[in-house]
Amino acid sequence: MLTVVKNQVKVTLLNIKYALMREMLNKTTFITNIVFMILNNACFIVQWIILYSIKDNVGGYTFKEVMLLWGIAAGTYGVSHFFFEKAYTLADTITEGKLDVFLVQPKNVLLSAITSDVKTSALGDILYGFFMCFIATLTGIQFFLFFFFCITGGIILTSFAVILGSLSFWIQKADMIADTGNGLMTNFATYPDGIFKGVVKVLLFTIVPVGFINYIPIKILVSFQLDVFLLIIVIMFFVVFLAFFIFNRGLKRYSSSNLMNARI
Amino acid sequence: MKKYVFIFKSEFMSSLQYILNVIFGFIGYAVILFVFFQLWEYLYSDPNELINGYTMSEMVWYVIITEILWSSLGGRKLCTKICNDIKSGNIAYNICKPYSYIGYVVSSHLGSIAVKTAIYFLLGMIMGFFFLGGFPKLSLISILLIAFSSILSLGISTLLILIIGLFSFFIEDAQPFYWLYSKFILIVGTLFPIEFFPKIVRPILNYSPIFAICYGPAKLFVHFDMLYALQVIGIQFIYLVVVYFICTLLYKKGVKKLNVNGG
Amino acid sequence: MSVIEVKNLCKTFKVKKKEKGLKGSLKSLWKPKYKKIEAVQDISFSVEKGEMIAFIGPNGAGKSTTIKMLTGILYPDSGDISILGFDPKKERKNLAYEIGTVFGQKEQLWTHLTPYDNFKFFGAIYDIPEQAVEKKIEELKGLFELEDFINTPVRNLSLGQRIRCEIVASLIHNPKILFLDEPTIGLDPVVKENIRSLIKRMNKEYKTTVFLTSHDVGDIEKLCKRVVIVNHGKLVLDDSMENLKYHYLNKKIVEAKMKEKVNLEGEDGISILKDKGYNLKIEVDTKKKSVADALKLLNPDNIVDINISNIPLEDIISDIYQGEEK
Repeated sequence: MLTVVKNQVKVTLLNIKYALMREMLNKTTFITNIVFMILNNACFIVQWIILYSIKDNVGGYTFKEVMLLWGIAAGTYGVSHFFFEKAYTLADTITEGKLDVFLVQPKNVLLSAITSDVKTSALGDILYGFFMCFIATLTGIQFFLFFFFCITGGIILTSFAVILGSLSFWIQKADMIADTGNGLMTNFATYPDGIFKGVVKVLLFTIVPVGFINYIPIKILVSFQLDVFLLIIVIMFFVVFLAFFIFNRGLKRYSSSNLMNARI
Repeated sequence: MKKYVFIFKSEFMSSLQYILNVIFGFIGYAVILFVFFQLWEYLYSDPNELINGYTMSEMVWYVIITEILWSSLGGRKLCTKICNDIKSGNIAYNICKPYSYIGYVVSSHLGSIAVKTAIYFLLGMIMGFFFLGGFPKLSLISILLIAFSSILSLGISTLLILIIGLFSFFIEDAQPFYWLYSKFILIVGTLFPIEFFPKIVRPILNYSPIFAICYGPAKLFVHFDMLYALQVIGIQFIYLVVVYFICTLLYKKGVKKLNVNGG
Repeated sequence: MSVIEVKNLCKTFKVKKKEKGLKGSLKSLWKPKYKKIEAVQDISFSVEKGEMIAFIGPNGAGKSTTIKMLTGILYPDSGDISILGFDPKKERKNLAYEIGTVFGQKEQLWTHLTPYDNFKFFGAIYDIPEQAVEKKIEELKGLFELEDFINTPVRNLSLGQRIRCEIVASLIHNPKILFLDEPTIGLDPVVKENIRSLIKRMNKEYKTTVFLTSHDVGDIEKLCKRVVIVNHGKLVLDDSMENLKYHYLNKKIVEAKMKEKVNLEGEDGISILKDKGYNLKIEVDTKKKSVADALKLLNPDNIVDINISNIPLEDIISDIYQGEEK
């Protein structure tokens, strides 16, 4: 069992390494992509400076906390898109019959499929996340927690994308649903949860798991609570399990590229 | 002129196939609007309170209009298309055709986004109505003038992106310029009215494209005033002529360079 | 001992029918209409160890669907499959260690890496120790003549070289069965021939069972001793290559453009398919007359242009159907 996991991890890391090597073939493009993403995120600081000039508390967050929220949002987005970029185009991979290659290998299909490409600009997001940590002046332990939440959040975000992408085993046009759903996550992730009320707030802590990716981690960073911290880990394992479960259920309906041929 | 109407029409017809994509795209837009609505509702402790001269419902309507104008434009796609046209040499085919490339780009692009813009406006209005429980009071004439100003705004936006795309004649990659431009419009133009910025930068913003493509039409919608409307439309016309002139100039220079290089 | 055992295999695809225009697409959104395509219908066969078997049929006959079900890519609707005792449906991973696959139309290699690095990657996928991989690469490098380009990035290789690398990549883990789906598609005749002889050599060397699909009769003629023909998802013929050759491949089509008119009417073993003055199309029955003799009758000095080909697969299939009716 242990060697199986070890071999799986080895192959997954190799996948990521080779995909990164491919991105680095053109050094200039590689670096501009990263730099532009950092600038892109930094632009939005303007928005918050203006908002905080109106009121010194937005949704119960101080300016520093909003910067931290952006840090976590960028960090989780970066981790997810860098290591698991293909989770975001899973719907296309499925409908175009591109899972074949992974199905004949003695490794986990989903893991191989979502790690077969990296997104360079996501490295910019990860770096931006760490810049925000400095702005928010985190202590050593807080910094470690931040790092930890970037990973748990990145994994939850990826699982969410996998679940949406897997819908294309059942329905056509699932790619559009997935794009909309994933975009929606980013939109909510960059605003304080205090501005939302009622049903929406409930949704953000259930079927749209932004709460567990961004909001709760911020609260733990501000004042540590062990039970909530453990809850995040439990939620993460649950979402990962759900993603694998749904994907594997769908895999039985996988039709390779045969449907495409049949359409002609 | 007739041929441009025809180009507009054929792009319009072919865009009808993608109506479902437009509706899905709107969901993303609706979420952004919803977040803004919640944000401003939080920031205004009392809906009648004035922040920089805007009530809460005026503030939300302002964002609805600017976001419609920006989201339905499809700027990145247009810029990529123009850059590819130039880099691949496809533009050479347009040189020998009996229409101006600029006229072709503007009419075909406006044709392809017409349906999207109309749907966004319709659904955006419905959303605003539900959020805020009513519309700003507008007469038929003012609605027509706002619609006209919005169309001018889209035309100017298209030409501005065309200018950026035409940079491809002279530099390796014009996309970063589009990126800078889009960030400028998105963050400085669509999120807040000009009054929200510090006094020193306001005059600059008033002369920047933001006035002609975001602030002008949106301000008219929340605060209609006949004299101001004529002023906005006048400024938009001046903008239109100037950007058109720059486009022609860049295009002519670019094509000359193309000929020298032999395509 | 049979290594592949297939019983009553079936697979149906549901395809959404789309109506034209905006109204049609809206309608299909609310009330989608489906069309059933029976890709594989009740196919049964078995393959012995070390055999080279060809699965042939025209495009859309169900070849790829079958091979995908055998390798664990597709779930069958009904029927039983046993590959080396594994059920691909339930034991996909275990099966994957024992089989190799090459899909002519799909790339498994990283194009920015060299074949050597790719092979090492596949070594890792199949959990093979470093030293064993290197030894295996060395061995296969010789067998498949990769010496010249084993350190060139795959994107700079020709299609033929790539296919050779694809095959080697699928052999790194010593598979007991090699599945080849249209391995020679898109290749020119010389390269095709080269690939065929390499596959043959590999089969001899390692006694690997080879399961091959193709719509090119030429592929099979040279490689396989046994042929299975499918059409419209059904098994049409399961016979030895010799029998097939004797019954159906003994005829060649000769198309020639002539300087002068020739009259071949009444010649034994030649039937005229088309005779438009200087353009001639004949069928030569090689049991009765060799192609060389037929050419002699045409008088080589008079030939402007000539093309000799096999009878198209579609014709063989319709021939088989007609034979059944008789």
